[in-house]
Amino acid sequence: MPSAPRNPTVVEKLRRHLISQEGVLFMIMLVSVLFLATRTDKFLTVDNLLQQGRFMTEVGLIAIPMTYIIITGGIDLSVGSILGLTAIVLGWSWQELGFPLELAIVTGIASGTLAGFVNGLFIVRVGVPPLIMTLATLALFRGLAEGISKARSARGYPEWFFELGQGEFLGIPTQLWLLIVAVLVFGIVLARTQLGRALYAIGNNETGARFSGLTVNRYLLLIYTFSGFMSGVAGYIFVSRVSTTRSDMGTGIELDVIAAVVLGGTSIFGGTGSVAGTMIGVVLIQLLKNGLALSGVTSDATIVVIGSVLIFAILVNNFIQTRRGGD
Amino acid sequence: MKKDKAAPAPRHALDFLGIALAVVIIGAYFLLPFVIQPEHGPSTVAVLTESKKANELGIFKTGLEVVPLAALGMLLLGVWNVLVPGAARAISLLLALAGLLALVYYINFFRYTPLGPPNEWGEGTLIGSLGIAFWIMLGASAVAVLQALIPRPVPAPRYRVAKLFGNQESVILFGLLLLMIVIGLANPRYLQERNISDNLAGNAYIAVAALGMTMVIVTGNIDISVGSLVGLLAVISGRLVVAGTPAPLAWLAPLVIGGGFGAMIGFLVAYLRIPSIVVTLGMLSIIKGILIIWAQGERVRDMPADYFLSQMRPLGIPMPIIIMVVLTIGVALWMRYSATGRAFYALGGNVEAARLSGLSRRRLVMTVFILNGVFVGVASVMYSTQFNIIQATPPPALELSVITASVVGGVSILGGTGTAVGSTMATLLLNFIRSAMVFINVSPFWLKAVQGLLILVTVLADLLRRRRQRL
Amino acid sequence: MKKTLAISMILALLLALVSMPLSAQDRWDGADDLAVNPLACGMGDEMMDDSDEMMDDEEDMGMMEYDGGQPAMMGDDMAGMDIVLVDVPKLVGIGYFAATTLGQQQAAEELGNVSVTTDAPTEANIDDQIQVIDAYITQGVDGILFAANDPVAIAPVLRKALEAGIHVVGYDANSEPDAREWFVNQAEFNGIAKALVDSLADQMGADAAFGIVTSTFTTPNQARWIAEMWAYASECYPDLTWLETLEAQEDAVLSFQQAQTLINKYGEDMDGIFAMTSVATPNSADAVQQAGLCEDVAVVGLATPNGMKPYVNDGCVRDVILWNPVDLGYAAVYVTRAVVDGEFMPGDSSVMAGRLGELMVVNGSEVLLGPPFVFTADNINDFDF
Repeated sequence: MPSAPRNPTVVEKLRRHLISQEGVLFMIMLVSVLFLATRTDKFLTVDNLLQQGRFMTEVGLIAIPMTYIIITGGIDLSVGSILGLTAIVLGWSWQELGFPLELAIVTGIASGTLAGFVNGLFIVRVGVPPLIMTLATLALFRGLAEGISKARSARGYPEWFFELGQGEFLGIPTQLWLLIVAVLVFGIVLARTQLGRALYAIGNNETGARFSGLTVNRYLLLIYTFSGFMSGVAGYIFVSRVSTTRSDMGTGIELDVIAAVVLGGTSIFGGTGSVAGTMIGVVLIQLLKNGLALSGVTSDATIVVIGSVLIFAILVNNFIQTRRGGD
Repeated sequence: MKKDKAAPAPRHALDFLGIALAVVIIGAYFLLPFVIQPEHGPSTVAVLTESKKANELGIFKTGLEVVPLAALGMLLLGVWNVLVPGAARAISLLLALAGLLALVYYINFFRYTPLGPPNEWGEGTLIGSLGIAFWIMLGASAVAVLQALIPRPVPAPRYRVAKLFGNQESVILFGLLLLMIVIGLANPRYLQERNISDNLAGNAYIAVAALGMTMVIVTGNIDISVGSLVGLLAVISGRLVVAGTPAPLAWLAPLVIGGGFGAMIGFLVAYLRIPSIVVTLGMLSIIKGILIIWAQGERVRDMPADYFLSQMRPLGIPMPIIIMVVLTIGVALWMRYSATGRAFYALGGNVEAARLSGLSRRRLVMTVFILNGVFVGVASVMYSTQFNIIQATPPPALELSVITASVVGGVSILGGTGTAVGSTMATLLLNFIRSAMVFINVSPFWLKAVQGLLILVTVLADLLRRRRQRL
Repeated sequence: MKKTLAISMILALLLALVSMPLSAQDRWDGADDLAVNPLACGMGDEMMDDSDEMMDDEEDMGMMEYDGGQPAMMGDDMAGMDIVLVDVPKLVGIGYFAATTLGQQQAAEELGNVSVTTDAPTEANIDDQIQVIDAYITQGVDGILFAANDPVAIAPVLRKALEAGIHVVGYDANSEPDAREWFVNQAEFNGIAKALVDSLADQMGADAAFGIVTSTFTTPNQARWIAEMWAYASECYPDLTWLETLEAQEDAVLSFQQAQTLINKYGEDMDGIFAMTSVATPNSADAVQQAGLCEDVAVVGLATPNGMKPYVNDGCVRDVILWNPVDLGYAAVYVTRAVVDGEFMPGDSSVMAGRLGELMVVNGSEVLLGPPFVFTADNINDFDF
């Protein structure tokens, strides 16, 4: 019997936050971090944590549009290939075509955006299911990167180019600022704007969303293009961090990104999820990887742990959410 | 539309004639070698090579005439069938094409054999002349047979063209034939028997894994862990046989262990309600880590000679091809006729309907993952017995090949539709493309891009077909 | 409307398909704009005693200034003290790096005051490798041994290690010279190239035609070997025909299939296959064996002996070329120990490496393990790695 509506107390609010998807995940992260910190004193230091921030920026940036896309019930498997394509176009247009480096960066990111736009166009205009479309472009974009580069790497960039990937700004890795701003802006966009609400509506019931007058196609085209853009930016950061371009860059990053997004509580069937959850997922995986390595666990054992944590975290969350639902 | 919903017209008797002709050709192809040169064993290649030297072998020529006659029959039958209203079917066109190809290559064979080598097309063409006809007709007749067995709730299309390509299998088979004709014209060596059979046998394990994947996807789930699992099971099987286990047991072990892993995944998905993509993403890392820690990079070698299942050639046909064909037909029949098989479609299409029809969702999901595990086990045995060495690493990106094959083969990722035949055909098409590109000298840098484009074209062609059907 | 769009998209794709790749028929020679340095001509049998030419080379190269980097000064001198090293190969889980790890453990045991752990990503991924190294810098080891997935990409993190006062020594696959102190070179690129090409020419004649199965076009070592082979062959065997180079990653099945594709495409026109990785070589040999062409197609490649025993022992493959990876790992640990002890300084022309004796310095900051080794049916069973 529902009682009359009343304002929730602070305790209730807190409780609700704690047992939300993100709250539970945050607790898991906290426990893992504390555990790892007891194993090695090298882990919980400002320097090390900032360094991990540097490493996770690319995955973090791509995870934002991936969250959007998965919320609508779609998926984008081609992000790693777009990252590679961007890197190659950047290096190639600078070294082979003689573009100024600034223009080469823009060209690179633009080509990534275009790649995302192509994905979106086929998905909304021709009606190719996202998984199939991006499986095909996973091969296609990687192939384009290989073809354009002709297996040559572009290196020898000027010093300023590395500022984004290897430099610091106010004591914090430069690219981390970019990630923080992106997370804030696009987190708010998803949670507070009409666009965000539209994405959830599409994920919950695409046909219904169409009938209720949402321009579903436009939204979908937008987010796949956005995914290409963010993969492009991540490609630029990656090149700046590792100082060279290769056509195999970003291979397999799509699985890391998807793992982070689903770990963050976004349902693979669409309709639920948040950027905050995704970021907790990204951070958790990165810290586990690093913390385990620092406590002397080798990489082969680390992937076993991460795989188990992924399943376990979803299991715990499922359990708690079911219990809550039963209240 | 109402008319279309009526009971399907009785299968045209001529269709069965076409199938019979195909059977004659295939039979002749296999039996002739025994008749002519028993000492050469069942290898057709050996017989043909030999026959070039001893052209006086009149019986050989006589025997061969069965092929062009049957090919001509298929061609005429196919053309006639296409022209007659009401009888038009995808298979008619395919039969006609197969007949035409067989004829063309037979004439080539005839033109060059009496003159003897050398000629500019090389030995490969001569040997391949019959090979091509055989393989294509085998495919065409297999599809002809299976067409009768595959469930197809698609309303009859309005356009003639759409009728010809009424299903994804025909689209892919047509693509395969087109690919062979185009590449074969550019470089006849592509069509030599050895190349075709190498391509079929080498990718059969992917096709078998794709069968399991098809079932999983039909129920609305997915399995990303197959690559790691194939690697692990292959090493287990290899180490068992090296340790002295009899070969048949070593073949069986991966099936059982694979089924066990499948049961684990199925339990997590069905009873603990974790989405399959999450479970298998996790399992992908877990299994891979276990494999690397356990195997320590030690390749498995010195397996006993009777272990190499994939290298066996009963009746001259490589074993992987037999396994692939048998399993594909088996799964197609099973999914068509068994209650469980049909329930998979129901489960993927509409969970509520499946529940109401008295099927336990949980048990079905368990079943499908266990089956998938067993199929992965079969694939891993085919993989591990292929070479004299088993690498102790998972085959890279195998899961992507398998999933791509399944979805290109017409399996809807949302579940509910898809067939075993389609996924096998798609595996073949995708992998034929790779070697085809080499034969026509596509620059190696662009190989992957061309492959990606061709995947896209295949998918679009299918989409176009469906759209037309809906009109 | 949508139909028209779909059709036009298919047409555009097909057009791109025809126009794009066929225009690019240039041969890939792996050079990546770097200079090649072919050795003088000579037949295969003399190869093992080619120390003269090696020496010539060293005279040219040995004059080079030391171009490695140096760690920042450390407070305490570690000479003779226990040190902890970490070994980061390209990836774990393959036989080749299992062998280098074995050699490192042997050296550590012999020395007694060194401990080595091997840790690397499970896939040959440049980013993962960087992160593994970074974690060990944070953890604080005394020395890092590495085999780079990419020479340039790995450089920043190695420089960071040097700045942190950690000794950095590479083996198997180099980085930019100033990002590490020394690089233990298993065999010079031109030496490997010469051994491979000589072996093929010896088996199938100086006018043979061959294809290549490599890992990827971007893998630096394989690319360099092919570039050197190209340079050496065009100088010494102008009649050799280069048919085609195919990629096969580190994938057993793909290597097998690519070799099959070469066999089927070229038929009698092909006399040999060069296989450039320890995965490609056994699987190419398997393809040749299963096609029954052991007599007609020679497989020459780089591989560890254990992987090649089945094919060498039954006569399908004559020569397998490789250095000894166990020795390579062993030497890397000895070099690092010598550097830590201050016994091996920039400008030195040689270093003592335990059972391997004295190893020469070449190319400024590289320690040369020796000439490549040729495994044949006579000696392959004496090795177990």
